[in-house]
Amino acid sequence: MMTSENNNAVKCRQLSKVFSQGELAVNALSDIDIDISAGEFLCLSGSSGSGKTTLLNMIGGLDVATKGEITVAGKRLDKMTMSELADLRLHHIGFVFQAYNLIPVLSARENVEFVMQLQGIEAEKRQQDAMEILEQVGLAGMENRRPAELSGGQQQRVAVARAIVSKPELILADEPTANLDSENSDKLMTLMRELNSHIGTTFIISTHDEGVMSFARRLVKLHDGRIVSDEKK
Amino acid sequence: MSTDKQNISWSIVFRIAWRNLWRNHRRSLIMLSAIALGLWGMIWMTALMRGVVDQMIDSSIKTLSGHIQIHAPGYLDDPSIEYLVPSLDKSPALQSLLESDDVVAWSQRIRVPAVIRSERDVLAVTLVGIDPAREKGLSFIGDSVTEGDYLTSVNDKKLLVGKKLLERLETKLDRRVVLMSQDPENNIAERGFRISGMFDTDLEATETGYVFAGLETVRKMLDMGPGISEISLLGHDYRELDGLLDKTRSSAPDADVRTWIEKDPYMGSMLAVMDGFVLVWFAVIFLALSFGLVNTLLMAVFERTREIGLVQALGMKSRNILFMVLIESIIMLLIGLAAGNILSWLTILPLKDGIDVSSVAAGMEFAGMSSTLLPAVKWPDVLLANALVLVLGIAASLFPAWRASRKVPIEAITRVWQ
Amino acid sequence: MPFTATYPIIVTNTTLTLAWRNIWRHPRRTLLTIAAMVFADVLLVFMLGLQLGQYQMMIDNTLSLFSGQMQVQAKDYLDEPQMYRTIANADPLADKIRQETGLQAVSPRAYGFALASSEKRTIGVQVTGVDPAFEDRVSTIPGLIEKGRFLSSISANEAVIGSTLANNLKIAIGDELTLMGSGKDGSIAATVLPVVGIFNSGNRDLDRQMMEMPLGSFRDVFAMGNDAHSIIIAGNRNMADVYSLKIDGLIKENRNLRLHDWETLLPGLKQAIQADFFSAWIMYALLIILVAFSMLNTMLMSVLERTHEFGILLALGVRHGKLGRIILTESFVLAFTGMTVGVLAGALLTYYFSINGISFPGMEEMGARFNIPPVITPEVSLRTVLPGPLAVLIATVFASIYPIWHMRKLRPIEALQAA
Repeated sequence: MMTSENNNAVKCRQLSKVFSQGELAVNALSDIDIDISAGEFLCLSGSSGSGKTTLLNMIGGLDVATKGEITVAGKRLDKMTMSELADLRLHHIGFVFQAYNLIPVLSARENVEFVMQLQGIEAEKRQQDAMEILEQVGLAGMENRRPAELSGGQQQRVAVARAIVSKPELILADEPTANLDSENSDKLMTLMRELNSHIGTTFIISTHDEGVMSFARRLVKLHDGRIVSDEKK
Repeated sequence: MSTDKQNISWSIVFRIAWRNLWRNHRRSLIMLSAIALGLWGMIWMTALMRGVVDQMIDSSIKTLSGHIQIHAPGYLDDPSIEYLVPSLDKSPALQSLLESDDVVAWSQRIRVPAVIRSERDVLAVTLVGIDPAREKGLSFIGDSVTEGDYLTSVNDKKLLVGKKLLERLETKLDRRVVLMSQDPENNIAERGFRISGMFDTDLEATETGYVFAGLETVRKMLDMGPGISEISLLGHDYRELDGLLDKTRSSAPDADVRTWIEKDPYMGSMLAVMDGFVLVWFAVIFLALSFGLVNTLLMAVFERTREIGLVQALGMKSRNILFMVLIESIIMLLIGLAAGNILSWLTILPLKDGIDVSSVAAGMEFAGMSSTLLPAVKWPDVLLANALVLVLGIAASLFPAWRASRKVPIEAITRVWQ
Repeated sequence: MPFTATYPIIVTNTTLTLAWRNIWRHPRRTLLTIAAMVFADVLLVFMLGLQLGQYQMMIDNTLSLFSGQMQVQAKDYLDEPQMYRTIANADPLADKIRQETGLQAVSPRAYGFALASSEKRTIGVQVTGVDPAFEDRVSTIPGLIEKGRFLSSISANEAVIGSTLANNLKIAIGDELTLMGSGKDGSIAATVLPVVGIFNSGNRDLDRQMMEMPLGSFRDVFAMGNDAHSIIIAGNRNMADVYSLKIDGLIKENRNLRLHDWETLLPGLKQAIQADFFSAWIMYALLIILVAFSMLNTMLMSVLERTHEFGILLALGVRHGKLGRIILTESFVLAFTGMTVGVLAGALLTYYFSINGISFPGMEEMGARFNIPPVITPEVSLRTVLPGPLAVLIATVFASIYPIWHMRKLRPIEALQAA
């Protein structure tokens, strides 16, 4: 499964991203150098516009860098095609978004199964894994509900279940608690921390919520597209 | 790089497409109805038009034309008694062809221009001497006598007169009329006939144009020797006559052998015009449908930008997304087509006895049609309509589907993050 | 209404502007919907122009060939054309009609039946007595002489016959024909006439059966006195009402006479046109309904996606009726835009073809059958350009009733929740 050298899940070298809006060029990221080891539980913090979402997009292979190198799971993302990036996301990365995480026409279980289905895993194993993981995230008995029939916290749990079910090396979560109250927010973070400890999956979570940051084992602060602090707890 | 290929995940693609279709059930139902109605319009209108042409052709063939006619050369330019085909016992080859399985029905006739005179009026007609038994199933006269009696044999001495002609002559059944024509020596041959029966057809011109008597009676009246004016025969299919035409020509090498189309080029061209009309009509209906179809799908794709971004972020490839939209469209097309076919069947079935349009009978006659319309459902038309809607419908969906699959980059995904 | 200042949507004079902006919120959807309407409009304008152009030609060509615009006949002659049903002293009446209407295209005719014998053949023919001085103004046959010439004077002893008839009788110009028939009084009518001309009208029946001879000679042979069977009147069809009023005034004292317009003379022609027109409109209706479905979908989408917005308006106190009017205005603006473009495009296309003419395969045979030339020039006029697009406009505006009805049940709270 994990084949990366020096145990690095993510490696960025002089990573820069420039958005051009007409005449205006905005440096979203400037010369980011960062190594993230396998098994880390890292929080990216910073105000909106600090570049944390852009960094997550780059690591997730959703956006391409203007300059610099980025290696995820031992593969150079900046040299991959769209189709190869899709494969990388499917097999190596799990995503948890802030909202609209789930496909509205699929039930909780079907949403969890979705990625496995794309991976071509057979139906029986898929179902078994999905049920197990839903139970793990505390949603036993709700597997047949559609997203609209679940609360915000429950929806995010389904999203986490989907992200981890195929055991990716890396899970990216962009403000996963932004739409949750503090109780649900704590529950979700606790869940992710537990999964991190049990399975050893690398988590990168962006947030500007102090409560969420308190769960971090490593806290990276971004400001105007640069890393301003990087501390391990 | 990853070695396993991500093929189309049909089950998930199909499931999402099916459920997406019913998310906005009103919109989908409207589109389904439009497809069903469009197909109904294609099938129904075509069946009606085909029915009209079939009837015109049938009527043309039954008005003494048959599928193939045999005359002496020169007769068609100058339909007089001068041009005769030798009697059948002199041409055994033709006789055996007529008796073969290739020929469904045939008859021989003497056919001359004549003048009919009653106590009140004089009119020009065509006098036809027939073999009454053979005309049944071949021409209209066999089953159009509505009052009085049909002729019994080639020697029958009575006359069959059309309803309208009877009115014009101000005479009745069983009264006598006098027919005058020219014998082979150019003398006026005259003979009195008792009117035995009245025939009633859809076309007034037929009713006033012809009178019928026994073949041998006419031969005696005209004091002519052996020989006949024409032989008319029916093959199996009015569109497929080439083989039969060749055989007839080779068994009657000296005669003028023609098909009904050569004799009535107007009908032949109607057939061609009809085929063209069907295509144009299908295209028009499909185009009217396609605007709605493309619009519906584009809206569906537009509303789901976020979801499409999501599944792409999760690693679904563009190909899968393309198929997701295409399958949604195909399901919609298939259901719409099924409904349209059922609707067509339900609306054509009660009309199998024809639609009465006698209020415009004279107009229909002007165009050579009868006053009852019989829809004619042709399977190739129905198949073509279905195939056209399906194939072109899929083609029209390609643009929205392609738009969806190309949405990827950051645009769609940015909407997910926020 | 206190909220008008903050919510200008309900101020009537800006409603149109707002409707215009609202329909362009989804430019692609709106364009596709308009395209559907324009497609239908162009097709309808073109087809209607083609049809009416064709009918016009069919009528003109059929009427000018032989039957004229209208005819004065003896009562009952139309239904039972017996020889004794005549117009007494027809020539003075024809003169009076010329004076009253100012038309020169007024020509008396008499019809009879006779056996025509050439040296070789005998065939029953329809004999028409015509006045050579006026016949060329009411019929195109004098101009369609293929060989020889037309009749020279009203009392000449000569005949012209149809080409098929000439062929069947095996005669040429200069040959004599013997006519045998019966006169008005039942007496035997017989004469010998040289054939001076052969016409080819393109009409199968006329070419096969008809012979024309001078009216004067006809009267002598068939014992007609000064009578005729009909007086043919031709003229500008748009003036038909004026002429028929004047002629009616002339003949109303004589209870034996009737004036028939072409619709009565040739019911088949009128009904053929009606049948064609009717079947075409069935097809047009289907096309229009399909376009209305497009519109229905667009308006429904536009309403459903604005549920939240409408909720705000309802919460502000706007009535459902007002919402309905907003939706109706939008659909009208959309439909009207489609109609404007459609009418212009349709009129331009049709105009192009009305100048250059259209022909399609199979038309030659059809043309021969219906007396139309093989090239059609479609008509461009208000009556061809407006009905189709108007029908589309009405149908599409009508299609917005469902979305409006759907909105009627909307409660502000639910609407606001449907973010």
